[in-house]
Formats: sequence, structure tokens, C-alpha cells
Amino acid sequence: MIVTARHNAQISGAPEGAPAMVFAHGFGCDQSMWRLVAPAFEADHRVVLFDHVGAGRSDPGAYDTDRHASLDGYAEDVVELLEELELGPVVFVGHSVSATIALLAASRRPELFDRLVLVGPSPRYIDDDGYRGGFTAEEIEELLETMDVNYLGWSEFIAPVIMGNPDRPQLGEELTNSFCRTDPAIAKRFARATFLSDNRADLAAVRTPSLVVQCREDAIAPVEVGRYVHEHLGDSEFVLIDAVGHCPNLSAPRALITAMREYLSR
Amino acid sequence: MTPLGRARSWASAPVALLRLDGAGAILDANDTFRGWLDDGTARDLLGTRLSALLSVGGRIYWETHLAPLLRLQGRVEEIAVELRAGGTPRPVLLSAELHGGHGEGDGDTLIDVALFDARERSRFERELVASRAEAERFAASVHTLLVTTTALARAAGVEGVCEALVHAAVREFRAGAAAVWLVESEGKPRLRAQRGDGPFDEPSTTLLTDLADAAHAGGTAGGLGVDPDLGAAADGDASGDATGDATGDATGDATGDATGDVVELPDGHVVVPLSGADAFHGVLVLEPRLRAGDDTLDLGALAATGQQGGVALDRAVLHEQSISVAHELQRAMLTDELPQPDRARISTDYRPAERSLEIGGDWYDAFWVDDVTLALAVGDVVGHGLQSATAMGQLRTVVRSCAESGVGPAGVLGHVDRFVRRRGVGFGTTLVYAELDVTTGRLVFACAGHLPPLVTRPGGGAGFLWQGRWPPLGVATLVAAQAERTSAAAVRSGRQAGAPLSTEPEAGELELSSGDVLWFYTDGMVERRDRSLHRGLEVFAQAAAGAPGAADEDLVSSLLGGDLNEHDDACVLRLEWDAPRRSGHGAGRA
Repeated sequence: MIVTARHNAQISGAPEGAPAMVFAHGFGCDQSMWRLVAPAFEADHRVVLFDHVGAGRSDPGAYDTDRHASLDGYAEDVVELLEELELGPVVFVGHSVSATIALLAASRRPELFDRLVLVGPSPRYIDDDGYRGGFTAEEIEELLETMDVNYLGWSEFIAPVIMGNPDRPQLGEELTNSFCRTDPAIAKRFARATFLSDNRADLAAVRTPSLVVQCREDAIAPVEVGRYVHEHLGDSEFVLIDAVGHCPNLSAPRALITAMREYLSR
Repeated sequence: MTPLGRARSWASAPVALLRLDGAGAILDANDTFRGWLDDGTARDLLGTRLSALLSVGGRIYWETHLAPLLRLQGRVEEIAVELRAGGTPRPVLLSAELHGGHGEGDGDTLIDVALFDARERSRFERELVASRAEAERFAASVHTLLVTTTALARAAGVEGVCEALVHAAVREFRAGAAAVWLVESEGKPRLRAQRGDGPFDEPSTTLLTDLADAAHAGGTAGGLGVDPDLGAAADGDASGDATGDATGDATGDATGDATGDVVELPDGHVVVPLSGADAFHGVLVLEPRLRAGDDTLDLGALAATGQQGGVALDRAVLHEQSISVAHELQRAMLTDELPQPDRARISTDYRPAERSLEIGGDWYDAFWVDDVTLALAVGDVVGHGLQSATAMGQLRTVVRSCAESGVGPAGVLGHVDRFVRRRGVGFGTTLVYAELDVTTGRLVFACAGHLPPLVTRPGGGAGFLWQGRWPPLGVATLVAAQAERTSAAAVRSGRQAGAPLSTEPEAGELELSSGDVLWFYTDGMVERRDRSLHRGLEVFAQAAAGAPGAADEDLVSSLLGGDLNEHDDACVLRLEWDAPRRSGHGAGRA
């Protein structure tokens, strides 16, 4: 219960014993990102949604500047969550940076994972010799500046009140931008941990079968990066869906659901 | 307004207006927006994604925050982004609303966007953000320094200061690892403390010399401005002019920024010089954490910590020098061979205070006054440190030199007391002095403010010797002055002055019986913060009565049973009379 509460985990769908699917949101918003996709799997799966520490309605006190300075800390969180849930090996669906977090967690504790669905993954966002991630380190600094002047739905005065009232969620819903509400200091650290990490070397350690879902046009994770992930993962499949943007889970939910269903039915 | 008028006002509205498809591509834009762009971009505008016209940071923000929010709540308001497709970057405030779009494929989804020019506002906001960031950094620095300075002030000894520094480096500055190297004699660095996994290469002599020179040139006032290129020299290829550069900068940049004396080496290590008021002690080396989400090291606070550390090391070095001299002195005075008469068995033990590095002023002594008279003494000089140790040495010598046949304990204490008064040495010292006739077991004793001697009997009884009391040494002056005033008053009033008032009380006497054990001790054996002295004496008497026959080794700890007073030293002298012995015959000095 402790870890479940820490991550505001929501369990729904088929009764206990059904195969389990866990959905992890990416950098930016919270578990609401899955609201158009997760329900489609509730009929035959036990479905778990959760917020990363520092996002959504996770426990703000659980954020640890040391542990969460790298994606490894987030991967540890995922492992602890799965251990507590005891749902058996799960299908883990990770969007964006959570795809990388899933890979780290699966390489460490493969027995907790049945399969991985990686939506818009990128093991490294910064360009490197012979590798095009799409960004330079300076451009990531620009992102931090943009975040500095946009406190989405955040106010030091009301945020603790909302976070302290998990039993009154309507309080949060009334606020504009609440889906992407994050403590600005945490958001910036998460942005650095996300965009300045290099996890290319971790791909080879993953044995869990996985599906790479790539959007036709994605400014954050370009097609070539998706292919790179597919080529460096041992047991992986690649599917290109006809969607534009980095969040097909909101802009093209049906295409994403279809691709996932097809993969999971095999 | 006519429809045409409305269309015109859409086109020339004082805000940029756009209509996008569900994927964010521009379907239409008004003239105001086109006017903000360069010609090429304006010409090929349709079909371009709005996010592509933003700064890269803005583009990521659009994809990770704004696009999802539009889907989740239908609109976003007042988002600050920067348009990059004009001649110069143009900060704008973006509001947008999404229509339709609940079906798949974005075919029926439209996004209406309004962009407000926010150049002035943005400049103002950036200044606010910058000053807030500055204030936060400052508050964090102050907090870090406060914690670190407190830890340094509490640290005892050089080792303690070094530990406090590496602890602060890892805990407060959040370095991955840290080490302190101090320069020993001949300029050789030695690793004194380390936290986290190195590896830490020994700092090069060149680097240390340059830092030492810079410290001398600039004092500790900050802003030394050591050339970071020194790092190259530190890697081995000692360049001859590095020293010159460092000193040159030091004078030229004396009022420079506070991080000037911190050096960042090419291998990423950060070197903080530890310079005191007049000595360069060494360096604190930090290995910064370089994970993506880690904050950078606060170099300004590190520089200040280096200076605080330097001053703390000044103090610690001085302190340790005086302690080591004091320890030498005390050891020299306590390790004399003790006399061992036939019918008595003497054992002693001394234990220094554990918490404080300072030595105390406790001493014990036993020596022959003449062939049959054995002198025993235990004393306690007020205070700690070198001064107490030298006072103790002098008093011990005075006791030994004035103890002669026929003087007796009261006479000896009188001598020592006069010495204390005249020379101003050891005021307030307590002393118990006794003479034992080793042929008869007759003990004569006097006690200047000291804890009473204890006698334990073979049957299990125990008793304190409360006779022969005397004020602490030097304090008797007050008694004497009082007595003089009293007799002077008696003369003036015409009364005949009687015999002068004795300010030297009679000594106490006791015949030791076979198996009796006599205990002299200092307050470290009985005083505890959590109990009265009375209770302390009771506990000590019980422990002494129950002590095994001849526990010569670790007498102090066996009596205290682990209940050591960490703040005070403790000393015990034990004499067992007529103990059953292997080859006992006759009495007197062998």
C-alpha cells in the first residue's frame, strides 16, 4: 500500500488473476495521458495507472533529489511498485521517457515483466558522434528556460492543499492545467534527467520482448531514433503508426490501441 | 459590423491569430502573424506546424505539455513561448482552444490560437525569474554555509576538521566523493579524510605550490583568482610560469568573484584550497555528481568553506601541538617506578578524558620520605591543557622536595599552600597527602579540598576518612586573612591575644589492619552529571569494596565498570596493607 499510495496508483479492469497491464506516463503530464487508451484493455486485463514521483498526485514528500537525479531512481520506483502490486509478470506500457525507465527496470528485474510496449522511446535526446537524437544540450537549456516562465497550474499556496486532499479530487480538476501540474523545481530536474541522460548502452541488457511504437512524425523522438531502439533491443518489433506528434495516446488513441492489441494477441 | 468588416478586423487584429489542424499544422493565419515572420517563412506558411516556428525549447514544451493539455482540457492560456521565425526572437503569450477532435484521425479537429506580443512583459518577467533564482541560490548557499561552519566549529582536532570537511562536501554540497589532502613537512601531501569512492590522485606538488603562493599573495580575503590552467600543470607537465600566473592573477583580481580560489581541473575534479590566517594547509578535492538531474556545485559557498576550513585547521594544529606537549609532560610525571615496600602493595591507574583531547591535571605519586616512611599523594589541578600540566609538575616537585622526616602531612600541605599563594601556580588545586609507617601501618594524612581517602576492609566494610580537612590549595589564604583580622581586632579591643589561630588543621590518623585497602582517587572516579556527589561516593565505595584483590591493570575501568566520565580524566592509587603474599617476611624497607 505504501508504494501504491506514493504513486497514486489506480487499479481497474478485469478481476485479479487476469493478465496485468501497467501504464507509465512520460515527461510533462500525468496518468491522464492514458485516459483514451487504458479503458480499451480493461475488459481482459487488470489495468494499473500511476504517477511518477513529482508528477500528478504522487506523494510530493517522496521526491528525493539524490535518488531522482537520474532515471535509475525512477526505475527503482517502478520495481518497488510492481513488487508491491504482486500482479505477476506484467505488460508494461511506457510513453516517452517512461519507455527508457521501463527498459532500465526490465534489465534489472526481468522476472517482473512479461512484455514491454515502448511508445515514442528515445535512449538519448542529445546528438552524438554518429547518432542523431534531435537536440543539442543548449536547446535543452532553452526548454528549462521555457519551464521557468510557465508554472502550469502551479501555485505554492494551493498545490499542497490539492495534493493533501486525494479524497477530494474534484478540487484539482477545477484547476486549469492541473494535468501537467508539477513543482517547478522537480519538473526542471526531471527535464534534465530525461533529456540529458544517455541510456543507449542499457538497451543490450534487456531480454524482455518488446514493441516499439513510432509516430510517423515526432519532433521529440524522430523515426530514426525509434528504429535505433528497435535495432538495439534483442527481442523487439517495430510498428510505425500514422500519427503526428509525440503523444499518440491522446492524438491517435485508436491507431495505438490497434497496434498494441495486434502485438499482444500474438 | 459587416461580415467583411469582421474578416478585415480578424486579419489586422492587434494579436496574431491562427487556425491549426489537429496535428498543429497551420491552416490559416492573420496578417499580424505574417508580419512577425521573415518573408520566406510567411510565404510557405500553410501546412507548417506552429511548433516548428518556436524555439526548440518551446517546441519540446508544445509536444510534452501544450498538445496534451489541449487534448485533456480543450484549451491552454497565457503560455510564454518564443517565436523564432522572424528576424529576432519574439516572446509571445499563447492561448489556444481545441474544437471537435473527439474522433480519431484529427480530421475534424481544429485549434484556434491567439499570440500576444510580449516582448516588454517578457523582459520584465525574465528579470523577475533571474532575481528569484539568484535569491534561491543565495538562500541555499547561506544554509549550506551555516551547516558547514557549525560542523567545523564543533570539530575537534585536525582529524575532526578533515572529517567535517569531507562530510559537508558530500552531504551539503552533494558531491559524489570528496577527500582532504594536507601538506605535510617537505610539501608532501597526505590523504587525511575521504568520503565516497575515489579514485583521488594525489594533488600535484605544482598545484599545491601555486595554491600556497596564491594564498600568501592574497591572504584569506577571497578572490584569489588562480588560473584554471593550473590543472594542466597538475596533470604532470609542470610548467614553469604557472606560479607567476597564479600570483599575478591573485593581485590583479583581488576584488574578483568569491569563487576565484576554487580550481576546476580538466578531469572534472574541483579543488578548494584550505588556507588559514598564515598557513596553507592543503586542499579539499571534490568529485561532482554528473548525473543529468544533479545540481551543479556551489563554488562560491565552497570557496567560503575552504576559508573556514583553513581557519579551523589553524586552530586545530595549534591545539594539537599544545596537547602533545602536555601529554608528554604528564606521561613523564606519571610513569615513575613506584616503591614497593614489603608489607604494602601499591598499584595506580590513570585514564585521560575520552571526549576532550586536552589532558587533565590529575596526578598520583608515591616516594620514600625516609627508611620507614612512605609518602602517598593524589592531586587534581584545576583546568586542562598545557598550563595545568606544568602547574601539576611544579606542585608534584614541591611536594617531593618539602617532604622530610619530621615535617608530616600537615606541614607538607602548609608548604605547598604557601608555594601556591606566593607563586600564583595551581590555585584551587586539591591534594591528598599521606605518610605511612611501613613497619607499623600507621597512616597520617591531610586533605586539601580533595575527596576523602577511602578504606575498605577485608570483611567487606568501607569508610571514608573525613579527618585532616583543609581548603583547596591557595584558598587557605582567605582563612589565614580572616584569622589575622580576628586576632588584630582582639588586640585593639584590649583583650589579650591568645595563641595564634591555627590555619593548619591537624592531620588525620589511622592504624591500618591486615588486609585493609587504602584508596586515593580524583573526581573523575565519582562525579557524573546525572547524580549527586554523595551518591557518587557511595557507588565508588561499593565498587572498591567489591573489587578483586589486585587488579593492577585497568584499575580505573574495572572500578567504573564501563561507567566512564567521558569529559574528565580519572586517577586511582590503591595501597593494600599486609596483603597475603608469596614471600612475606619482616617489615620495613627491603
